[in-house]
Amino acid sequence: MRQRFWIIMGLLAAGGAVALGLCLPRFFEGSMPQVPGEDVLHLVLGDARQELSMALLAKADEYFHGGVNDVACGHGMTSVEGAVPDHDPAHGESCPEHAHAHEAVRWRDPWAWINGRVHVQEHRHLCNDQATELLPWIWAACRASPQNAQAYQTGAYVLARMTGHPEQGVRLLEEGHRRNPEDAGIVFSLGEMWLTHLHDAARAESWFAAVLPLCRPAEGAVGENDRLLWVRTLFYLGYLAKQRGDLARARACLAEAETVFPEHASVKDLRRLLQQ
Amino acid sequence: MKMCGRQTGALVRVALLDLYRRKDLIVVWLLSLVLLLPLAFFSPFGISGAGRYLNEIALLLVWLFSAVIGVGVAARLFPAEFESRTIFPLLAKPVTRGRIVLGKYLGALAASVSALTVFYLAYGVLCGLRQSVWFPVVLFQAFLLHIGFLIVVTALAMLGSLMMTPSANLTLCGLLIVGMLVFGQRLPSLIAAQPYPGKAFLMLVHALGPHVEFFDLRQRVIHGWSRVGWDVCAVVLLYAIGYAAACLGLAGWLFCRKKV
Repeated sequence: MRQRFWIIMGLLAAGGAVALGLCLPRFFEGSMPQVPGEDVLHLVLGDARQELSMALLAKADEYFHGGVNDVACGHGMTSVEGAVPDHDPAHGESCPEHAHAHEAVRWRDPWAWINGRVHVQEHRHLCNDQATELLPWIWAACRASPQNAQAYQTGAYVLARMTGHPEQGVRLLEEGHRRNPEDAGIVFSLGEMWLTHLHDAARAESWFAAVLPLCRPAEGAVGENDRLLWVRTLFYLGYLAKQRGDLARARACLAEAETVFPEHASVKDLRRLLQQ
Repeated sequence: MKMCGRQTGALVRVALLDLYRRKDLIVVWLLSLVLLLPLAFFSPFGISGAGRYLNEIALLLVWLFSAVIGVGVAARLFPAEFESRTIFPLLAKPVTRGRIVLGKYLGALAASVSALTVFYLAYGVLCGLRQSVWFPVVLFQAFLLHIGFLIVVTALAMLGSLMMTPSANLTLCGLLIVGMLVFGQRLPSLIAAQPYPGKAFLMLVHALGPHVEFFDLRQRVIHGWSRVGWDVCAVVLLYAIGYAAACLGLAGWLFCRKKV
């Protein structure tokens, strides 16, 4: 009898919980803390997702440098191809100055000396045929925060340039564009991808044309990156216009670019192209 | 001498049996399988061929579980004896307190190293099957230095078990291990950047703290870097033995002074 009572009470409590779960969003529509359609990751992490995504992207960069972090390297994942050993691993051993410095550290701070020997201090870049190793971290960075436009752009670069899968790169950028429709960088990357990897000038031009309305550079140093993107977009638009014989359009692009960044290499290149 | 060996051997056997009786290893194995199996079949963006991420996660789990087992086993040995009062019949036997500490320490170490051997064998087979690279020298070095890590952390946890409550000991050991693994390598630069008195504190930590980051060769194993020089390996293992000896000496002294 007592057992049956508790079973009925349990069922009633479970039913009540389900009913509340269904009723609350209806009664308090618009004032609930969660936005409908948000995933669990967003509810749990909130704004920390962006930080997590950046950390995962940093992990991909660490992989690009052979697992070595804190590398003072001018080459990002997005600018260098192939393995570039710019430091001779044997240099420290053979050079008398380095050997002397190592000896000094050994006696002054033996713990730092051991750390320097155990952990790799060299600098190398991943070869293109090993670039698939970066993909799990980039995939995770894109999933962790769909607002991380840099993750989509880096991912597309690695897919198209380093692993030779431009179609996957375009798909990733299109996904990034769907989630960040206001991001001019993603749209520009899509244009570049269609032009340089898939050789479809018409589609590339439509993407480049879509960059200009999104690119609103602020005054001063803050708007520097946007201005560069604007000029580079105008270069591509001018180049494509020249290719199809629309010289008036190409000259208009050059004139607009000269007002934004007259000394930029892209403006000079476009000027030279139109003089030919 | 023979008696001394037999007594220590008996204490080691008890600690070893304790680990396998409580089925910690089975739980750890199941957890690893649950985490690694889905990841093994993962192909991001539909492109397969990536393997280092799996090696990294597998080695991270090996480090995590070995630390948990090493610290857990070492930190539990004395409090359980005190709590259940089985320490009295043990002390009544013709065995010195110093030998009890040494025997229990060796038992905790043997239990942790046996679990570690199983982990590394499994990791070696996993890598061999996936990448056709069977037990490279650098993996053997990583295993050797990982034993050095266990030599230090089990001694540290045993010392802590005689000074603190089990929960405080586990928390402090965990913080020390994670802190040194994350910041140990960067301590010299952190010291240089800090003003006094923070600088003095960090210098003390750098000088006396357990530098467990010395034993971490994951980076070399995962990214295919060359092996470490054997002289460096020997120095690191000597550091481990020296640090553990200091901790055990202190633990023995504390246990001898302890009123039970």
